Amino acid sequence: MDFAGAYTWVNIKFLLEGFGVTLQVAFFAIILSFFIAGAVGTVRYAKVPILSQVFAVLVETIRNLPLLLIILFTFFALPEIGISMEKIPAAIVALTIFEAAMISEIIRSGLNSIDKGQIEAGRSSGLSNFQTLRYIVLPQALRRMVPPLVSQFISLLKDTSLCVIISLPELTHHAQVIYGQNSGYLAPILLFIAFMYFAVNYTLSVISRRLEVKKFNPPGSDSVSRIFPLYS
Amino acid sequence: MINFEKVNKYFGDFHVLKDINLTINKGEVVVVIGPSGSGKSTLLRCINRLETISNGMLTVNNLSVADKKTDINKLRTEIGMVFQHFHLYPHKTVLENITLAPMKVLGQSEEEAKQIARKYLDKVGISEKADSYPAQLSGGQQQRVAIARGLAMNPEIMLFDEPTSALDPEMIGEVLDVMKALALEGMTMVVVTHEMGFAKEVADRIVFMDQGQILEEAIPAEFYENPKEERAQLFLSRILNH
Ligand SMILES: Nc1ncnc2c1ncn2[C@@H]1O[C@H](COP(=O)(O)OP(=O)(O)O)[C@@H](O)[C@H]1O
Ligand SMILES: [Mg+2]
Repeated sequence: MDFAGAYTWVNIKFLLEGFGVTLQVAFFAIILSFFIAGAVGTVRYAKVPILSQVFAVLVETIRNLPLLLIILFTFFALPEIGISMEKIPAAIVALTIFEAAMISEIIRSGLNSIDKGQIEAGRSSGLSNFQTLRYIVLPQALRRMVPPLVSQFISLLKDTSLCVIISLPELTHHAQVIYGQNSGYLAPILLFIAFMYFAVNYTLSVISRRLEVKKFNPPGSDSVSRIFPLYS
Repeated sequence: MINFEKVNKYFGDFHVLKDINLTINKGEVVVVIGPSGSGKSTLLRCINRLETISNGMLTVNNLSVADKKTDINKLRTEIGMVFQHFHLYPHKTVLENITLAPMKVLGQSEEEAKQIARKYLDKVGISEKADSYPAQLSGGQQQRVAIARGLAMNPEIMLFDEPTSALDPEMIGEVLDVMKALALEGMTMVVVTHEMGFAKEVADRIVFMDQGQILEEAIPAEFYENPKEERAQLFLSRILNH
């Protein structure tokens, strides 16, 4: 093990560059998959005819495939039907497809977890279906969705490392490049990237737990609506 | 004002409302009683189309409730509903619970809606709780907020589905008092309740249901002293002796 040799400025800079790509890919995949999943989850919750059946089949299919396979497919198979992408967009697309399927289930079950009495109270006061969803169901469901959503986002960030299979220049790939030159660097470099993944993900989970604590204390306190003012 | 004509309702194969004929006039207070599962809630929920009828004719203000052309959201603004389990919105304050529909459905300004909300909170006797969240209130207080929420839409009809059944005994009185006051003001009310005191004091009519049918309609004194139907007698003896 050669810590001094592994932790040169050049190597660390190279790892940080990789981490930048990791964060970039994760960020875009999180945003995209969240919006797609929001639409898919809501359509399935509202049981929109035909569309919700189509989404159900897609979601079930994707959820039961290995993410690694989806990444390989997006980067290596899609070009054969004329859709070729650079590594970063390909990684974002593959992760988005997979995560959107997972997250749509979180959103759908979050919406479904709201007591039917809430909906009846809204509808019987003359609110439309959409208004009931918007003002009554969604704000309550979002609060419940925060913990599972954050843990799914953490999974996504970790899963970007699977993109080594297409040599995406992200953190894990850059680590491989470094210890490929000198096997004495292997353990120090892996330790270093472990720390980086951990630091970001742990921060996210702490934030999520903070939100949860605030959510229950005092009753009705409005932590989520401060983050998502749209849904207050 | 509310008119059932040969109304039937099925849940799949299950015939839950059988040939219902019932007329409720403006300003009347009608109490619906009957054993659990006899279809009382379903009857009530058909009136604002929380349940759809299978056949027959149901009109509210001469509008067919089942008709696709009827603007159901508009009709519902005329019909307030109070549930056994209150169904207040837990993420909103008492005031926000009450102002939501007036603002979003009737288009009232926040200012106006709040002013009206405070008026009704005052009326149900909990104006000091305007900024509390439902979880901070007792059951009786929550149910009174639910009543204020219904009234804030200025409806012509109020439906109550066992409004005191989920309450601790010491809170039943405060809710019934609010309902009695409302009845005396001339509100048209359909109330599913087994509270005999309430029924005797303010009901114009008792409707007794069993197994999806209306078996007896009578004024309260007559019904409680001298029920004609055998099943009504049996039912009364059961609720009196428990
Ligand atoms: N959504 C539903 N689907 C199927 N059966 C139902 C549904 N709602 C109520 N029922 C059945 O209809 C019958 C009447 O219910 P309900 O109107 O709630 O009675 P009550 O209010 O008099 O206790 C019960 O047997 C109940 O199980
Ligand atoms: Mg009932």
